Amino acid sequence: MNFELDDDQRAAAAGAREFFAGSTSVADARRALEGGPVTPGRQALADVGFLGVTVPEDVGGAGSSVLDLAVVAEQAGAVLAGPSLVTAARAAVLLADQPDLLAALADGSTGYAVLDGPAPAIDAVGADSFLALEDGALVLGAGEVATGEPLDATRGLGSVRLTSRRVLVEDAAARWSRARDVALVVLAAEDLGAAGRAVQLGIGYAKERTAFGRQIGSYQAVKHALVDAWVGVEQLRSLVWWAAWAADAAPDELPLAAASAKAFAAETLERAAETCIQVHGGIGFTWEHDAHLYWRRAKVDRFLLGDEAEHLDTVAGLVLAGALST
Amino acid sequence: MDFDDTTDEAAYRARVRSLLEEHAADLVHLDAGEEAADAAEQQQALRRTQRVLADAGLVGVSWASEHGGQSGTLAQQAIVNQELARARVPTLINHIGLGMCGPTVVAHGTPAQHERYLARLLRAEDVWCQLFSEPGSGSDLAALRTTAVREGDEWVVNGQKVWTTLAHVADHGILLTRTDPDRPKHAGLTMFIVDMHAPGVTVRPLRQLGGQSDFNEVFFDDVHVPDGDRLGEPGEGWRVALTTLLNERVAVGGGGNDLGLSVESLAALAAERVPQLPTDRQVLARQALGRAAVAALANRYTGYRRYTAISKGGLPGPEASAGKLAGTTAAKLVADAGVRLLGDDAVFSRGPDGDDGRWQRNQGWLPGIAIAGGTNEVLRNIIGERVLGLPPEPREDKTAPFNGGSR
Repeated sequence: MNFELDDDQRAAAAGAREFFAGSTSVADARRALEGGPVTPGRQALADVGFLGVTVPEDVGGAGSSVLDLAVVAEQAGAVLAGPSLVTAARAAVLLADQPDLLAALADGSTGYAVLDGPAPAIDAVGADSFLALEDGALVLGAGEVATGEPLDATRGLGSVRLTSRRVLVEDAAARWSRARDVALVVLAAEDLGAAGRAVQLGIGYAKERTAFGRQIGSYQAVKHALVDAWVGVEQLRSLVWWAAWAADAAPDELPLAAASAKAFAAETLERAAETCIQVHGGIGFTWEHDAHLYWRRAKVDRFLLGDEAEHLDTVAGLVLAGALST
Repeated sequence: MDFDDTTDEAAYRARVRSLLEEHAADLVHLDAGEEAADAAEQQQALRRTQRVLADAGLVGVSWASEHGGQSGTLAQQAIVNQELARARVPTLINHIGLGMCGPTVVAHGTPAQHERYLARLLRAEDVWCQLFSEPGSGSDLAALRTTAVREGDEWVVNGQKVWTTLAHVADHGILLTRTDPDRPKHAGLTMFIVDMHAPGVTVRPLRQLGGQSDFNEVFFDDVHVPDGDRLGEPGEGWRVALTTLLNERVAVGGGGNDLGLSVESLAALAAERVPQLPTDRQVLARQALGRAAVAALANRYTGYRRYTAISKGGLPGPEASAGKLAGTTAAKLVADAGVRLLGDDAVFSRGPDGDDGRWQRNQGWLPGIAIAGGTNEVLRNIIGERVLGLPPEPREDKTAPFNGGSR
């Protein structure tokens, strides 16, 4: 058994951390709420190669694994980067036999969004091509985006009505299902990064801030809350790695692993963000502080690509059907 | 990344599996949650089981051969544990000795003590217990008051221990005592190996919340312990005890194994019961099943990460404590989902219509799991301070003399 990242993946994580540190910041997520751009933005992500991680090399991608992409997505999530790598991962599966469209995904010349019926789609704002499943067929088209006032502007959420469509694949149900599972994995990976960073913010503050003559992190009430949030993050990391590995190496395990990771991610990020705010006290409840940006991500992501109840039910169905028996 | 055995591990696993098949007739087998009918008979059978396994080279796998072990790796020990579980062999009777007492004797014992105790421990010729907690000192272990006073070549022990698992069947114990009350609490302690059959040792079983008696209170009235059974130097008892506690953290939940009934047991129960429920109740039962399964899987795969670390030669660190915290959460979700699936039978310890009570017994274990092996609160302090780097609470009891009042 070898259940850890290899040296290349650790190096990729370090490289991604550096890229995001230089191209975006959590403060940008606040500015996006105030009308600023989502950063680093599609073109920057394409130029660094992150939109094409799972796109084959012959059409301009890196031809790497979902696990490799999850490693990058964790770093993207840590700084609330946008647009989401979820869309890139999902589109790469859906467009597998469309070299021109894949190339346009990898080089950033087309902005895709993937639609689940009328539900608000990730990165619909700013997209110019929409992928959807209609009557079992994969279709591509243009559309009109309707959006509300964003809770987390980095997600670019909008409901889309297709105004044109052409069929790419007639019988696409299986491909659609795999693409959605891969999307769940990458979303859980972004949430892992966000949750981990939120807990670290809380830990950092608990070491600095004093009350009643000592650092607040020395009080068990504060310490234990941070530990519980940290344990959740490490548990989530295991599910994300397992699910990403399954996407590449064990497709039969992917539905169970992906639904488990997404359900656990929803709960873990919420707890991490809420703990972060609570540890900070009043300052954590202000617009100026970064804590609410993680909280916003948590409150939005828990509903994206199906909520916790949906994924727990999926897990239950698979378990009842014998997914745990070997 | 992969979940496969290496070639060496696969070969080792195959050998373990064939040994377990070869000796199957001499081993106790129990289903998860199943209870043996006769406790005394079962104890003898469990001693025999461990002896057979030890003679087959399947006990103390990672112990050095000079101590009677196999000089194998922690990964090989983990493979044996997995295969024992797969073969439905229950927890070895000397698990306290193997997990905690033995490693402590190995680390701090003299060659004579190694010679005298370790081989017999491995074969369960002697069963061991760990005499640490007292009525007035549980989490605050170093506040203990059992005394040992030197008289010539012997020490005379007086005091009381409690929550001592297996004391009622044990032949030996490791015993933490106070030998110098004028020194600060951690500095005045000394560890001994005590003969549980010695005059002055009285063991009284305690009855637990669930009705079973797995642990005991132990009284020491002028018990004479030869100086040759002192483990480590006088005043070094805390350092010796830390070895025990470190091993305990790993033994209890560190591997990501299920604490209590497994999620597979829950899956089997659910497959039988969920279809019988009304549709609206099925929705709730599936939510509970899904939540329990996700928690158990998260804990299991986190255990695989620690397993990977040890199989590459690393030592389990304080982060292993997280396994018990997450394991407790998962176990509670599994247990509660299981009990709720019993429907009306859940209000009985054993239902009137033939249910065997395993889910109710499992439920009765859980409050203890959150306390044993370091309470979950103490483990949170360990993770908070040693892993996350949060500051400790200020303490006055570490420096003042123990008998000076700062206890």
